[in-house]
Amino acid sequence: MARIGVDVGGTNTDIILETTHEDSIGKSVYQHKVPSTTDDQSIAVMQGIIEVCKKARIDKSEISLIVHGTTVATNISIEHNGAEVGMLTTKGFRDILHIGRHKRPHNFSLHFDVPWQSSPLVKRRNRIPIHERILPPEGKVETALDEAEVRAAAEKLKSNGIKSVIIGFLYSFLNRSHELKAKSIVEEVIPDAYVCCSCEVVDAMREYERFSTTAMNAYIGPKTSHYLKHLESELKEQGIFADLRIMQSNGGVSTVESCCDKPVNILMSGPAGGVIGGHYFAGLDGEKNIITVDIGGTSADISTLSEGDIKIMNPRDSYVGGHPVMVPMIDLITIGAGGGSIAYVDEAGGFQVGPRSAGSMPGPACYNRGGKEPTVTDANIILGRLDPDQMLGGDLKIDPELSIKAVKENVAEPLGLSVKDAALGIVKIINNNMALAIRSNSVARGVDPRDYVLMPFGGAGPVHGPALAEEISAKAVLAPPAPGITSAAGLLTTNLQYEATSSLLCDLNTISNKNFENIIVYIDELEDRIVQKLRNDGVEEKDIKLTRLAECRYHGQGFELRADIPSGKLDSDKLAIVIENFHKTHEMDYGYRFNDAAVELVTLRIIGTSDSEKLSWETLREAGDQDLKEAFMYERNTVFDDGSEMLTPRYNRTLLGAGQTIEGPALLMQHDSTSLVPPGWMAEVTKYGNLMIAKKHQRGEK
Amino acid sequence: MNNNQVDPITCQVISGALDTIAEEMGHVLYRMSFSSIIRESQDLGAGLFDINYQTICESESTPMHIGSIPAYLRGIEETLQGGEWHEGDVVVHNHPYHGSSHTPDLAIVIPIFHQGELVAFSGNTAHHIDIGAATPGLIIDVGDVYAEGMLFAGLKLYEKGVRNEGIAKMITANSRASNQLMRDIEAQVASAKLGVKRFQELLDRYGKELTFSAIEKLIDYSEKILRQKIEEVPDGEYRAEGFLDDDGRNREDRLPIVVTVKVKGDSIVVDLTGSAPQTVTAYNVPFEGSCKVAAYAAFRKLLLDAYNLDVPIPSNEGSFKPISVIAPKGSIFNPIFPAAAEARFTQCNRMIDLIIKALAPVIPDKVIAGSSASISFASYAGIKEDGDYWVFLEVNEGAYGGRPRSDGPDSIDNLMANTRNNPIEDLGMHLPMICDRYELRDDVMPGAGKYRGGIGVVKEQRVLTPGFITHESERHYDVPWGVFGGKDGAVGKTEIYNLPAQSKRKEMPSKFSGYSTQAGDVMAYYSPCGGGYGNPLERSIEKVREDVLDDFCTVEHAYEIYGVVLTTDLDIDINATKERRKELQQEN
Repeated sequence: MARIGVDVGGTNTDIILETTHEDSIGKSVYQHKVPSTTDDQSIAVMQGIIEVCKKARIDKSEISLIVHGTTVATNISIEHNGAEVGMLTTKGFRDILHIGRHKRPHNFSLHFDVPWQSSPLVKRRNRIPIHERILPPEGKVETALDEAEVRAAAEKLKSNGIKSVIIGFLYSFLNRSHELKAKSIVEEVIPDAYVCCSCEVVDAMREYERFSTTAMNAYIGPKTSHYLKHLESELKEQGIFADLRIMQSNGGVSTVESCCDKPVNILMSGPAGGVIGGHYFAGLDGEKNIITVDIGGTSADISTLSEGDIKIMNPRDSYVGGHPVMVPMIDLITIGAGGGSIAYVDEAGGFQVGPRSAGSMPGPACYNRGGKEPTVTDANIILGRLDPDQMLGGDLKIDPELSIKAVKENVAEPLGLSVKDAALGIVKIINNNMALAIRSNSVARGVDPRDYVLMPFGGAGPVHGPALAEEISAKAVLAPPAPGITSAAGLLTTNLQYEATSSLLCDLNTISNKNFENIIVYIDELEDRIVQKLRNDGVEEKDIKLTRLAECRYHGQGFELRADIPSGKLDSDKLAIVIENFHKTHEMDYGYRFNDAAVELVTLRIIGTSDSEKLSWETLREAGDQDLKEAFMYERNTVFDDGSEMLTPRYNRTLLGAGQTIEGPALLMQHDSTSLVPPGWMAEVTKYGNLMIAKKHQRGEK
Repeated sequence: MNNNQVDPITCQVISGALDTIAEEMGHVLYRMSFSSIIRESQDLGAGLFDINYQTICESESTPMHIGSIPAYLRGIEETLQGGEWHEGDVVVHNHPYHGSSHTPDLAIVIPIFHQGELVAFSGNTAHHIDIGAATPGLIIDVGDVYAEGMLFAGLKLYEKGVRNEGIAKMITANSRASNQLMRDIEAQVASAKLGVKRFQELLDRYGKELTFSAIEKLIDYSEKILRQKIEEVPDGEYRAEGFLDDDGRNREDRLPIVVTVKVKGDSIVVDLTGSAPQTVTAYNVPFEGSCKVAAYAAFRKLLLDAYNLDVPIPSNEGSFKPISVIAPKGSIFNPIFPAAAEARFTQCNRMIDLIIKALAPVIPDKVIAGSSASISFASYAGIKEDGDYWVFLEVNEGAYGGRPRSDGPDSIDNLMANTRNNPIEDLGMHLPMICDRYELRDDVMPGAGKYRGGIGVVKEQRVLTPGFITHESERHYDVPWGVFGGKDGAVGKTEIYNLPAQSKRKEMPSKFSGYSTQAGDVMAYYSPCGGGYGNPLERSIEKVREDVLDDFCTVEHAYEIYGVVLTTDLDIDINATKERRKELQQEN
């Protein structure tokens, strides 16, 4: 059961290989890192997989599972380079996507941007109204679908070279026939098009949110599915017949096929692995309140986890690039700040760092790959926080002179600063940018960071950890055992998970026999669909866990809450339990229940998961007396935040055992990461090899 | 550490916690409520207030509510039942001559006690669909404030934790939508209770002194920043004028609005002297709860534009302090009791629009061209099969004027309004109504300019049962203004016709009350379009072409006004365009 996790970042692609006793090489964990290939992520993914197998001396064919976290979909939405999408919609409603919910992003602003108008997912020229009309509340057809019009519209889109088309008709959640018919006509006219109906992407009421989610799906669809299918066939060509699974935004994994149909589910695939990885490693040592900061070369992903829970946003609150996307996602934010963030002086003389990144090509100036602009990594080299001869354990060749040159020419001289002060400035600015984002995800929600540990990872994470913790007043820093592959490792700690929904509006208290039967039938259908999906993934029936939810509200309300549906065939007693469950949830969430109000069912949701084998991370051996001496590498000068330069010892982190304490100033070195222990701070190695770094309590303080 | 001096970290944390409490209060209120005007439109406000009625924090919901609650609190002080606050009291209040924003906006206020001492108030306001006024939902053409429905002044719905069932019964018996009204009031109570709980938790954690020291600091901070921004505006008196269509009854009488902005040092006076006298209908603005609030909002938009700020400004009393408002007693902005004053929104929006216009010459980089600066507030009602009423309130959007660096946003809530639309599908599932059209206007062009005005919306709603429509809107006559060479926008219009009968479209005035509808009647609302900013001939040729491709602009309009000549394939004819632009330049 050899398994690989591959996490693609903006700069590097990280790989973890875990083998068990059953594998030819025995139980072990290997890690590897290769530069990401931005134009086609799959090149680095393939390279990384092949290389890690070589490194472990395991035959590629022994790999049984590959879990992949990808930023393909996300990048399309950030870079606005998705497909040109066409849309067929109900006549009279051409501008639902342009109007949105007619609410401004800011109350007090005149100069605000309206993302759904300034960067539309479907341009108005490509939204073609069609005669058709389905009427509420039963879904009766008032105006039949004008099929000739659909055909003409498809021809028009075709002649404009459009290859991605959505069908979004009003009330399609009541009656799918018009959308499905239109889809089949479009597919006839443009056989190679990526076509999706709004009722297939999200079967839910509320036209704007449904159309927007569908539009996002079609916008990222062609590129994303091309990428995934290409990767799948590449693997086979290389003789790797492992199952390929993709991390979804909700923290569960899914198959390639399913992600090609609904790429909208993997918009947060990349960052999700980091949050799960952070959660896993913190959990080993029992830390429950953590703020994960996954710092890569290009961006930093931040998430706040309270009481050991990964927070999933309500699909009604999920937005990507200002567009509502009604799919479950882990609650996290991403900002453009990382090791590759470029420092520059703007036209008005302002000192800026990021969000532009040098990525892996050309990368920081010191990589000597043609990058002339200074980056955060260059600043850390100048400050002696990263050692040029130790980057990737010395595998990465670095020229520190190029860092100095880049900082001097681009920042220090224009601003009249010394190179050292300019480098300190770069680090301070990037730390401040990250701290602001962390606050918006924690303090701004009333979370007091003094009760939380800050968990920095990604190769560049731990070197920034203490400054960030100080800035946001977190109680300590927790650097995971292998910071560079925390996200990749996270991929191996999660389950297969699928969700399916069906829209069914009816009052439960006075439910008709027909609707009662419908609920039973719908639940069966949804469960069958999910079970089938999991079975197709090779999951045995006994390992499948199904959660049934009724998304309900009091009749007349506008927001649904989830009520559990008991297992087994629904009967009137069980229905009464559903109603009571809803009352209880309402009371818990809002502090009140309306006993005399009717409870209305809106959506049935089935979540199916299968427990997969989890990464098994071993405890560390106890620290010995001589460990620190043995781990000592050398001493060099390092500049700290107050500008002081101190002779600072470097220790090989991999030689330290559990319980070992290290006084700052110190640098703890490992292959792909450096952890900084500033003067006045103390690091302690935990049972599972996490590094807890905290300020030493000064005398007189409690 | 000195106990009553808050350190910067704790201050930040408390600031974040306060914002979160206000957001959570708003969240519970709209998620829990039953009428679409609250749950979908989010026509509500919620927050915490100190015992001097200063705003501590407010939810980011609808600007018209933000800043109005202190006036309610002062009004409650004047009228409080029993004259004293007790733990467990819940007060309901909506009297427009005791500080309310207007009668349908009921406030629920709960006192917050800490260790037996009254320390603050938790409160919210929300727009209710029917409080038993002369016509269902909305009212315009009525004679006095008593025709607006039930008046609550300092009334205790709960006394020391015990609900007064008599009051609940009386409220229920006096509304056309009593179920929704009572349940939405309960939602307000739940939201206010949450505010009490959360604030008490905060006090328990940080102590009263430290918490209030942080609050003071945050209020000072907001005030200081606004004052700094006012200092940057040159001292002087700046004036702008406009007019309103009519008062909802006397169709030929236009109503002037005159705004004089007096900037001196770090404070501003908005003087509304010269505006129309109070009207004989409900088309008047309660001074404390609405007029002042609109003026505060105007300067937050102009001088503390949230989009341009790196760090958000805490939403509290500090941003009100540098602004004062003068409106003569007996004028449309300060009516004398018992004048009715329910329909007050469009006047407020015009006031903000004219403040912007007045300041255009001195802060050209901050102002925008004339926006729709109105609202469409429609009440649809009818009788259900069981004899009960159904009532639906809908807020329709407008459009912004062109801006110094970008086009005015299309079809979006304007200035003082920032509600959400009701999903068309949700409406159709729950009410005997069908939406027949919801898209951008294509019968007129928005104001041309280097940056064009926003395009207004057209919405057609069909009623399936006989009933009534009341509609409050504006600007069928006074067109949104262009600025710095930009062209004027377009006025709004409203039509009613019967779909099954294919009747002629009947032009309606901007405001009408209790119009009787037949099954199949459709009201079509066309909102005004914004004015342009800067000379249209300076608009990029490619932008004009893009607008044509998207049908935001016709080929003819591109030629006539922008001087852009397109071929039949909609490519740019660059030479002809140069010629045409030269020609237009000379004409000017």
